[in-house]
Amino acid sequence: MNTPSVTNSPVLWIAALGVFAVIAVQSIVYFRAAKRAAPAADMTDSELKTAFRAGAVSAIGPSLAVVLVAITLLTVFGTPVVLVRIGLIGSAGFETVTAQTAAQSAGVELGSTGYDNATFALVFFTMSVAGAAWMVSTLIFVPLLSRADRRIRKLNPAVMTIVPGAAMIAGFSYLGLTEVRKSGVHLAAFLTGALVMMLLQVAAVRLRRTWLKEWSVGISVAAALGAAAIAL
Amino acid sequence: MTTQSASASTSAPPTTSLQGFDRTTSRWGRGTMLAGLAISLAGPLYLMFGLDYWPGWSPVVQAWVSVAVVFGVFWVAEPITYFPMLGSAASYQAFMIGNIANKLLPSAITAQQAIGAKQGTKKAEIAAVTAIVGAAAVHLVSLLVFVGLLGTWLASLIPDSVAEVFGYIVPAVLGPVLVQAFMAARQHRTRVIALACGAAGVFVLVRFVPSSSVYAMAVCVTAAIALSLALRDRTGTTDDEEATA
Repeated sequence: MNTPSVTNSPVLWIAALGVFAVIAVQSIVYFRAAKRAAPAADMTDSELKTAFRAGAVSAIGPSLAVVLVAITLLTVFGTPVVLVRIGLIGSAGFETVTAQTAAQSAGVELGSTGYDNATFALVFFTMSVAGAAWMVSTLIFVPLLSRADRRIRKLNPAVMTIVPGAAMIAGFSYLGLTEVRKSGVHLAAFLTGALVMMLLQVAAVRLRRTWLKEWSVGISVAAALGAAAIAL
Repeated sequence: MTTQSASASTSAPPTTSLQGFDRTTSRWGRGTMLAGLAISLAGPLYLMFGLDYWPGWSPVVQAWVSVAVVFGVFWVAEPITYFPMLGSAASYQAFMIGNIANKLLPSAITAQQAIGAKQGTKKAEIAAVTAIVGAAAVHLVSLLVFVGLLGTWLASLIPDSVAEVFGYIVPAVLGPVLVQAFMAARQHRTRVIALACGAAGVFVLVRFVPSSSVYAMAVCVTAAIALSLALRDRTGTTDDEEATA
């Protein structure tokens, strides 16, 4: 594997840490805004903490999965680019396809001897511009959509109690069914995860243990991965 | 934005502090996203113009066009598709932190369930934002430590079998989360309609029009929202009989 020398340039490290810093600042500002607004939304301090903890615990499995994919790509893109492109903003799938496409347009294969600093610059640029397009369209559409959202809420508040559920069930069932068709192992992971989640939800209500709900994604994802390991 | 908050400021004080939340999150959401955008482009621009690794116009344009052909639909469809699930504030978080369907939405729904916040309420929105902050904290720290600091060392240490098992993380997360989304929905009709739309996307749309896979999810979600609204139970009660304010 040929790794271009410039992949670990200090400037790239600074830019990578800069993106981390921006997300950290955003998180702090958002958390403080949430804390301030919580009482007006009938949310107690302990509920705020529970929400934070539930989010953090649920993210452990998926974060470790991202870490594992990121590690395998270190020799191709270098640490700073992997941190920003694979770890944050983008996803391993999108970014790898983008990188290959970019390298091919220069007539080079990633990791081959022709993969030099100039090709790497092209690859990194293409990944970054593609990722930027998501942010630009978020910046354009979110203000428009939230204006529409506010107007609808005023006209008929009941509408907004239906929209998130409909959107999520349709989205997750589309993505989930796409996954289960890939192989028996995918199916085993999906079904085990769903089954364990159902059991945990029932148990949480029967035993009146809210912490079970907090840990439900973490536990069922672990069980689903265990099933995948057995089915492999 | 000032005109909007002024026009509604006749209502009770709680509304004002909730508007403060909307104002802060949209202003800072946009600001931080612009900063993230600029910094993420600064790296490659430095390589091209600072260190003079300019590959020439032809590959730059060619690469961009090939990528735009593949992902162009996602650029527009994703922010619109996820908005109904995330809301305004969390959208600015999600499109910078990444891994929306397999990490951030599961975190958000789990938090809403753990504190019993009903979808569509302000409480649910604040719970989602707080949960995503928690998810971001875990994600940033795990990336910095396990990839940034220890990555190269870990790469030589982790057996292939472990990496292979984690390759199934997407179905492993989607199974449980679909169950959660089912429980969080507030009308039974919504569940049936939305599940049918998702299934139709996979078994009808993508099956017969394979090229539709880039926008099929957006079609499913839009159809599910439209049909669930058109066919909703108008007797006024939701499953939990909770009237929203």
